[in-house]
Amino acid sequence: MRANILQDITVLTLEQVHALPWATSYLADLGARVIRIESKKHLQDRKAGPFPNGKPGEAWWNEAGNLSYYGTRNKESLCIDVTQPKGKEIFLKLVQSADIVTDNFRPGTMQRFGFDHDSLSEINPKIITLSSTAFGYTGPWRRAGSRARTVDAACGLSSLTGYEGGPSLRASNNYMDHSVGNNVAYALLLALYRRRKTGLGMRIDLTMQETGVSAIGPAILEAQQDITRSRLGCSHIWKSPHNVYPTLGDDRWIAISVGSDYEWDNLKRAMGQPEWANHHHYDTVEGRSEWRHTIDEALGIWTKSQENKALMHYLQTNDVCSAAVYTAEDLLSDPHFTSRQFFWTVENRSVPTVGPRQYAGRPFRSTGIPMGIERVATLGEDNEQVLSQLANYSTQGITELYKDGIIANTPDAEDLQI
Amino acid sequence: MEGILSDIRVLELGESPSVAFCGKLLADQGATVIKVEAPSGDPLRREPPLLKTLAGELISSAFMAFNTNKFGVTLDLAHPHAADVCKRLVNTCDICIESFAPNYLSTLGLGYDDLMRLNDTLIMLSITYYGQTGPYAQYKGNDFTSQAIGGFLHAVTGSSDKPPMGTVLDQMEITTARNGVIALMAALLNRDVTGEGSYIDLSTTESVVATPSQLIHPFTFTGRNPRRGGSDTNVMDGMHLPTKDGEVTLTTAGTGGKPMEVWSDFLDEPRLRDPKFGTRPGRLDHWQELYELVAPKLMQWENIPLMEATMAQGLVIGLVQSPIQVLESPHLAERGYFVSIDDPESETLAYPGPGFFIDGENTMRADRVAPRLGQHNDYIYTDVLKIPSAVLQDLHSEEVI
Repeated sequence: MRANILQDITVLTLEQVHALPWATSYLADLGARVIRIESKKHLQDRKAGPFPNGKPGEAWWNEAGNLSYYGTRNKESLCIDVTQPKGKEIFLKLVQSADIVTDNFRPGTMQRFGFDHDSLSEINPKIITLSSTAFGYTGPWRRAGSRARTVDAACGLSSLTGYEGGPSLRASNNYMDHSVGNNVAYALLLALYRRRKTGLGMRIDLTMQETGVSAIGPAILEAQQDITRSRLGCSHIWKSPHNVYPTLGDDRWIAISVGSDYEWDNLKRAMGQPEWANHHHYDTVEGRSEWRHTIDEALGIWTKSQENKALMHYLQTNDVCSAAVYTAEDLLSDPHFTSRQFFWTVENRSVPTVGPRQYAGRPFRSTGIPMGIERVATLGEDNEQVLSQLANYSTQGITELYKDGIIANTPDAEDLQI
Repeated sequence: MEGILSDIRVLELGESPSVAFCGKLLADQGATVIKVEAPSGDPLRREPPLLKTLAGELISSAFMAFNTNKFGVTLDLAHPHAADVCKRLVNTCDICIESFAPNYLSTLGLGYDDLMRLNDTLIMLSITYYGQTGPYAQYKGNDFTSQAIGGFLHAVTGSSDKPPMGTVLDQMEITTARNGVIALMAALLNRDVTGEGSYIDLSTTESVVATPSQLIHPFTFTGRNPRRGGSDTNVMDGMHLPTKDGEVTLTTAGTGGKPMEVWSDFLDEPRLRDPKFGTRPGRLDHWQELYELVAPKLMQWENIPLMEATMAQGLVIGLVQSPIQVLESPHLAERGYFVSIDDPESETLAYPGPGFFIDGENTMRADRVAPRLGQHNDYIYTDVLKIPSAVLQDLHSEEVI
């Protein structure tokens, strides 16, 4: 079951990769009609996988896990070539009845297509358009290309990330993408909220770099008072012990975080009051911070012989803030997350070769806003529906569009091999 | 432009960075957000590093960053006489956000069931590390342990041959807050149509897991656990490399499939065309040699000119900017990204904007910096709630406020 809060809203999204599809998946979950405009010539998303057992199948373009998780989840797929005059004409026709148009092309592309905000708002004055780019439509970097990790770097987050005494390291593989996706969803909901009050459309320029900078606010303020931060790995600027500690097995760890004398007393008691821990150096927050490497080493000896999940539960019953370092497999078998039904099993009946698979659910629950994955659109699955309902096409007309290569529901013959 | 949420009033209870950032995201867009602190103050005020105010006082950079544009009052919720005051505050609000342990507010008579009886259009968001239900609901947590159990430490940051390492500056709390405002906006839009409020249970650890960072479904599709590392020896597509005034990360994008030829020309280093560097595996196998060729050439460049030159040729790189370099960025300056917020008691600082411009305008409010402790007690308790001064005096002397 899906929410119906946005059931009156139609979104046309020219989206690729991670950030924007993640954003529109929220709106789709909330009941909006999200029409994903896909091109049979640009199927990177559908090639990205992951594929069942790592192997793309015959109809690989419909089998990727990302599609169920955010790509086409609860959305409709219109596979159309908007670079052709006929395709462009259809897109502009759809704009008449749309509420939102989003894209993540580099600045300039929408203009070239004739899909810039001014052109679209002439067709539909209430239209909300949002472009999600790395650096924005204005400023000297507007022509720069990007990858999520180059923006990790450009926004300042990567320079703050790294092992103690080591070089800076990228902060993630695509944390920026989901940050942006979340920010786009918020901006679009704000836009809808405002439009309800004012009736006005609007133009939104949203950038990954600026979203990233908004997540390092404290460091931005510190820099203005000449305060610099060192890279500390998992250590903390003042808390100790605060780190990951090795546990039984290969690459198995537990995170422990002690922030006060009270918590240090709890940890000492949990360890059975070992002599080393009762050294007077460690009686204060400052002392523990000064001697944190020594403490880390000693604590690691204690944790090394223990299994991380059991240790986490034991420490928590002793009121110590700690958590095992989990893998995906750990998460899926964990009693807490499974009791909350956090993982959703989805089977796309249109793609039986994939079978039922599990995905992370949404982190918020509200009986007022039920959420679920009802469908996962295959390539061009909704061509007929969209064109007949929103662009007034007859069956005959749609057949001709297929023949002329304007719309499709498979890649071209020469693109079938992945 | 008037703030989009200028007709919305929010009561913020609790001390987690996530509830603070959630309230900030709303306040920055014009909502009236009233932050309630114990009379001893939110511990975040004392969280290092500390900024200096003009009066010589010290205040946490995180507290200043996460509480822009809010009003601040004091109220000791645990005090028996506080519940009445809190209910009066809630009754002036559309939304209540809180981050106490599950059921804590209920024990004070301030749970959703209690509050919605007074106001059935109330929207309440409860943020916890593990959610309102489940065997770990009362477990202690923070951003770091959420990264651990949420799969981030094992799979995302850090090197493959080293212990796990996470991200800094409360990214998981921020991600939680971002999910929070999405849920709140959905609840607001819902209320407009149905007239009903709602209760939202938001979990930080689940916010960590629920990202497109390729964690759960790659496992259920392939049986392989995603694991950290992989770009540590990738000179052309992942490593951070030193420049004259900083660091940079290169990519092979924008090279028309001929990365080594293009970069050889750009850096004026013909040896990059050696066939052994011609494939990705080759570049990984011979990464040390490759590094020795590329690094000295990059050391001849300063960051900004390097960015401009590569941009002009369609090459894609990332300047590994420090916070001060971000602040001084000509690009962000031209865009008007940073927002200065004045306050007579502190130096005017530049704050990051929200990351979006609406109709060309940076929508972030610059109404007030993070409130001093109890700064708006008079305004809220006297002017807004109209609590008689005799009653207020009693509340003060009993240390309820």
